[in-house]
Amino acid sequence: VIFTTKAFLIFLPVVLVGYHLLAGRAWKFRFLLLASWTFYALCSPRYLWVILLLTAVDFVVARRIEDAPDPRRKKRWLVLSVAANLGLLAGFKYAPFACDTVTSLARLAGADVPDRAWSLLLPLGISFHTFQGIGYTIDVYTGRTRAVRSFVDYALFVAFFPQLAAGPIVRAAEFLPQMVTPPKVSASQVSDGLHLVLIGLAKKLFIADWLDQLVVSPVFGDPAAWDPAAHRWAALAWAVQIYCDFSGYSDIACGLAKWFGFELPLNFNLPYLATSIADFWRRWHLSFSTWLRDYLYFPLGGSRCGPVRADANLLLVFVLCGLWHGAAWNWVAYGLLHGLAMIAHRTFDHAVKGIAWADRLRATIAWQILGWAATMAVHVAGLVIVRMPTWGAGFAILQSFVPDGSSGSLLGGLPIWVPLLIGMGMTGHLAALFPRGYVKGSHEVFAVMKGLAYAGLVAVLSCFGPGVGKSFIYIQF
Amino acid sequence: MQAQVSRTIRLTLPPVRWNRTGWRTVRLPTYFLLGLVLLELGTRAVGGRFERYAPDDYAERVAGCVAVRPNLLVVGGSPVAEGIDPAHLKGLTRNGTPLDSVYALGLSGATSTDVYHAVLRAAPMPPKLIVYGLTATDWNDARNEPHGTYSLMTGDDVVTCRSIRPDAAGWVTRHYLEGRLARVSAVFRLRNGIRLWAAVQADAIWPGCAPEALREAREQSAYGDALRAGVGYAPAAWFVHRRYDRAKAAGDPGPPFGFLDKYRTGSHLKYVDKLVAWGKAHQTEVILLDMPVTADLEARYASAFADYRSRLAAVEASGVPVIRATREAVGLGDEDFADVVHLNGGGAAKLSAWLRARLAGDRP
Repeated sequence: VIFTTKAFLIFLPVVLVGYHLLAGRAWKFRFLLLASWTFYALCSPRYLWVILLLTAVDFVVARRIEDAPDPRRKKRWLVLSVAANLGLLAGFKYAPFACDTVTSLARLAGADVPDRAWSLLLPLGISFHTFQGIGYTIDVYTGRTRAVRSFVDYALFVAFFPQLAAGPIVRAAEFLPQMVTPPKVSASQVSDGLHLVLIGLAKKLFIADWLDQLVVSPVFGDPAAWDPAAHRWAALAWAVQIYCDFSGYSDIACGLAKWFGFELPLNFNLPYLATSIADFWRRWHLSFSTWLRDYLYFPLGGSRCGPVRADANLLLVFVLCGLWHGAAWNWVAYGLLHGLAMIAHRTFDHAVKGIAWADRLRATIAWQILGWAATMAVHVAGLVIVRMPTWGAGFAILQSFVPDGSSGSLLGGLPIWVPLLIGMGMTGHLAALFPRGYVKGSHEVFAVMKGLAYAGLVAVLSCFGPGVGKSFIYIQF
Repeated sequence: MQAQVSRTIRLTLPPVRWNRTGWRTVRLPTYFLLGLVLLELGTRAVGGRFERYAPDDYAERVAGCVAVRPNLLVVGGSPVAEGIDPAHLKGLTRNGTPLDSVYALGLSGATSTDVYHAVLRAAPMPPKLIVYGLTATDWNDARNEPHGTYSLMTGDDVVTCRSIRPDAAGWVTRHYLEGRLARVSAVFRLRNGIRLWAAVQADAIWPGCAPEALREAREQSAYGDALRAGVGYAPAAWFVHRRYDRAKAAGDPGPPFGFLDKYRTGSHLKYVDKLVAWGKAHQTEVILLDMPVTADLEARYASAFADYRSRLAAVEASGVPVIRATREAVGLGDEDFADVVHLNGGGAAKLSAWLRARLAGDRP
């Protein structure tokens, strides 16, 4: 029932009409909660109990934390919530990885251990709603938010279907105040929602899925069959694909939420214009990066402790960030790479900050471009690491970025559509580089033009999409 | 009392006031829907040029058959589409009656259920003779053909099918509704044709920009033309020239074949009875033609073919004439097949000539 399926085209209108026909806050929210649980049950029928259990645990725990008379009891309840969420997350997501790692180590030690004969299907959105639940109980523990007294309200905060499968990871302080009164849908929410949903679908169905079909899957599937130019295009295409896939999902989620009168937080802010790795993480998957900052990095001491400890904190946070994405050594390496890059950036920043000539140099456009290139190099290298079929193949793909003097075709045998699709995927970023000179108005003619343009976009997606339904990448995390 | 009131579900229309604010809330969706309607109307107006690149082969063949009004109709699944060339049958005389117009209504993937409905749609003027070329795949109840359900059936047919074949009631209903729903929008229905048409236009401006789509557009266009102009024999070049014996020797026996998996019979078979009854009601002679397949396929699905042949014998015993076009009788070997079940061009010519002789010589 995920957004790009035919079933969702039936599910969404039914829920929208039902929600807006029902009168009163209580019935609207009950209906929306039922719809969200139905959505979950349709996507992940075996695991409905997971979200129900964690919702009940976190709801009760938050109330107990608030009602507990002393800090020790509060802490015990908080530990229960964190343990329940992380326990289930670890059980489903990391148990197979841990088993494989132990098997490999045992074999290295000479033991004859058979391959793992079992596998686990990941419950829908478990990486997202567990973090949402932990964030909520920590917020209640620290007094940043009050415990919710209505189970329906809390359950809807966790299970709200637009953001259930792949975020954004919503904070209680952002969502729950919107539930005090039944949200009214404004004119701008209707039009912005339509815009976001269609742009999100275009990013996913047209750009991300075509790039995957034309270049990313073929080249990463068999890198030896392609020349260095194709490797370079595949790495760039993969970077654009994952951005369009995930930001497309986030756009659709935000757009759908608007049609129910809710606002979800921004998840991306032109990440491919970042001029440093720290800047990149202030623009990429914001709801997750700020979650790590507020609920992990700061409690560990952040940068207020000594430089060595601060660097260790950074490295730990980014390794865990990598592991959150996927239970595999590739993702650990991804986290290490980003963590080391952050440490290098932080160290350099501290070393030169306040030196007049260095500050002037760092303010120049040339330096910004250099910073952008270095940031993109780290990002693309990280993405190659997580997509490569083998370490050797990944090394070969990364090596293609190093000039070796050989001449080959510009596209390496790939269709001309590849650079065009990459350019289209970056249209929003490119537009942001120029002063905002476009006319934004509420005149009737703009509404007519927008409406017709959106209809044209639907036709284009219908006719020119690859036609093979592919899952959103981040749903697998 | 208060508690009771709060438990009452109230349905209300949203309070949209038709002032400026109310209009601003709905105007973008309104213009969006208007745009979709305009696109739909535009696509319907010029739909023919898109359909040329994405022919619905069931619909085209049925329309072609209606136009030809044959007095000999050869009907069946893909073995008939690829294996019977009506040109060889034209002009034969059976029981003193010349059968001067022939049409081969071969529908890829069709079962007996689809064949019956195809005859209903394609033969408003009942032919003198219907030859139903079938093999074990036509009676496998483990499979249904969605194309036939939404392309050949009417609502009444679905209702009848649900009562005749309760095992497939849910499946038939779902696919009929899905098919109808998908046809509501011309843009959606013709999306592949629009894509291929655009590839042809783009190639005219920028040669070589979409070579694969252009090749597909040319193939589809030629296939569509052949379906519309001919008498139902429009085999793909792949089938005409491929030789199963050589492909097998080269280690490439062809695409995987799963049409006889989980074999069970009885449900589709009921539509053979209906076809025979329809023939009697319209003074149309119905003959079943047991189509030849490769020895490899028969060996791989020995129990399925045993079941099929015992069913066929029972049908024959009930008075329905059956012609058995065995490989030995027709003189076919692996060199006459394109894959395990379809004849190639040479095999089709042999079978069609053999069938002509049998039909001309047969006596009821």
